[in-house]
Amino acid sequence: MIDIDWRQVFSQIALYFGAGLIAVVCGFPLLWMVLTSVRPDRDILSPAPKFWSFEYHWEHYRNLYNLTDFHIYFFNSITIAGTATLLTILVATLAAYGITRFRFGGRETIAGGMLFTYMFAPILIIVPFYILMRSAGLVNSKLGLVFAYTTFSLPFSMWLLRAFFQSIPIDLEEAAMTDGASRVKAVALVIVPLALPGVIAVSIFTFIVAWNDYLFARVLINDNELKTLPIGMDDLYNATVTDWGMMMAGGVVITIPALVFFILVQRYLIAGWGAGAVKG
Amino acid sequence: MAAVLPGQVLAIPVRRRARPNRPRRLPESTWGYLLILPAVLLVLGLILYPVVYSGWLSLHNKHAYLPIETFVGFGNFASMFGDGEFWRSIKLGAIYGIGSVGLQILVGVSAALLLNETFIGRTFIRGVALFPYMVPTVVVVILMKWILNDAYGVLPYLLKSIGIGEDILWLDTGHVMLTVILISTWTFFPFVVIGTLARLQTIDPELYAAAKVDGAGVVRRFIHVTLPQLRNVLFVVILLRFMFMFTKFDVIWLLNGSSGVGYYTRTLPIYTYIKTFGQLQVGAGAAMSMFMFLMLVCFAMIYFRVFRRDEGL
Repeated sequence: MIDIDWRQVFSQIALYFGAGLIAVVCGFPLLWMVLTSVRPDRDILSPAPKFWSFEYHWEHYRNLYNLTDFHIYFFNSITIAGTATLLTILVATLAAYGITRFRFGGRETIAGGMLFTYMFAPILIIVPFYILMRSAGLVNSKLGLVFAYTTFSLPFSMWLLRAFFQSIPIDLEEAAMTDGASRVKAVALVIVPLALPGVIAVSIFTFIVAWNDYLFARVLINDNELKTLPIGMDDLYNATVTDWGMMMAGGVVITIPALVFFILVQRYLIAGWGAGAVKG
Repeated sequence: MAAVLPGQVLAIPVRRRARPNRPRRLPESTWGYLLILPAVLLVLGLILYPVVYSGWLSLHNKHAYLPIETFVGFGNFASMFGDGEFWRSIKLGAIYGIGSVGLQILVGVSAALLLNETFIGRTFIRGVALFPYMVPTVVVVILMKWILNDAYGVLPYLLKSIGIGEDILWLDTGHVMLTVILISTWTFFPFVVIGTLARLQTIDPELYAAAKVDGAGVVRRFIHVTLPQLRNVLFVVILLRFMFMFTKFDVIWLLNGSSGVGYYTRTLPIYTYIKTFGQLQVGAGAAMSMFMFLMLVCFAMIYFRVFRRDEGL
């Protein structure tokens, strides 16, 4: 007689049920967004939602491009997020290298103080930030947003890179320097490649911060030509009788870059969590 | 990827040149300060200076555009404490913060425990579980408005078809707070999963083996082995989540804006925004920001003190 361990069977069933539940809860809304974006309006606006309908078209995406300024917002978001990411990598790498490789007074205080500012939410400083930017002439300018995103992702980025630099033995670059490489060369050819997972994690983090931000863009940008995707999308939603198909098409377009970026570097991000973001 | 291995580095032939006339290098500390300068300047100028400036503004009566600027001492704070709407926004903020952080921790830790088990398709499900966190907030909100739409929404339809949730208007005044808590939980719980899962993977399996030998069941193993190991991570995650949710602006604002329904989710960040950019009272807005800031600092200090005592973090 076959001996079945019913407890084992039950826990396996529970396990797969739970996994299925996670997949449905997290995945279904996104699937629904994609489905809605490629459906004809008559299927979208039916009181009984259609789960299996095989009639699809790209009309909503075409409308999004032809009838709205979505492509302008997309271009703005890409340039602003891209610039902020590059700037953050540069500034955070310099700072993290300085903190891990040189001894100077107040080093730990500065590092700790920077991390502390990670807890500051934009809403806490948006009022003075706006006034500051206005007097600097950076309202309605992409540069103002680039500065905002760079500054707000710096504390976390620096902290993360610090953890990566700390884990790279100092002997490595000393060896390179003994062999005649300049310090700059040693850092560029030895240290940065080894800290690449950290650099990638920082770039995804900054890119997503900039790509998603709503508050800074809302407050600093009025000009339609300068709007980023989040405020452009919000204004589209509020401006018209909601064209759900087109809104979902917009949603897909905004989500794809973030998702692609994320899937490419997912494991580095989790590694980063282990290394620096969470201690202990 | 050009990862340079130690062996390769050492294989480079030695080309050491003597440079007798070269002036001495900059002292080590100067280099350190120089390298960290750009980062420090940005944070000082664009985060810390605004906080101080906010303190100054909170003591003044200042209009957003007109050149009105008079010193009023603690007048802004006095009228803030006398404002019933302010206290209401604190109350709603507490409901939102505690509700959404509680749910995020509950769902996030449960999901992490499950995703730490071995099953077919685990990598795939792990990826899917992180999706919501990656979707931009504006998309999350508009997507949820579509899914919860009272005429064409798929969720009300599904709930009705299985006989629950008849006539729940998710986006109406009565349920909108619950809805915004659920939406926030959906999009932010992966943050908890990432942190918890990373920690779970480093727990020594021998601990479980030993507990099993001692006859501990699933529940007792969770309480006596897993939970103590998760404490430090949960400490940081709860702290960060609470700070982020307490100051959360975009999800709530995007859902309701300044509409009538928005009155039922007017938490402190929303009220601050309305005061500043809607009613153009910069001084009053700054006073509320300062209050939020001080509350966060107090909260963090109490939290650290309570948990540090028995944790030695």
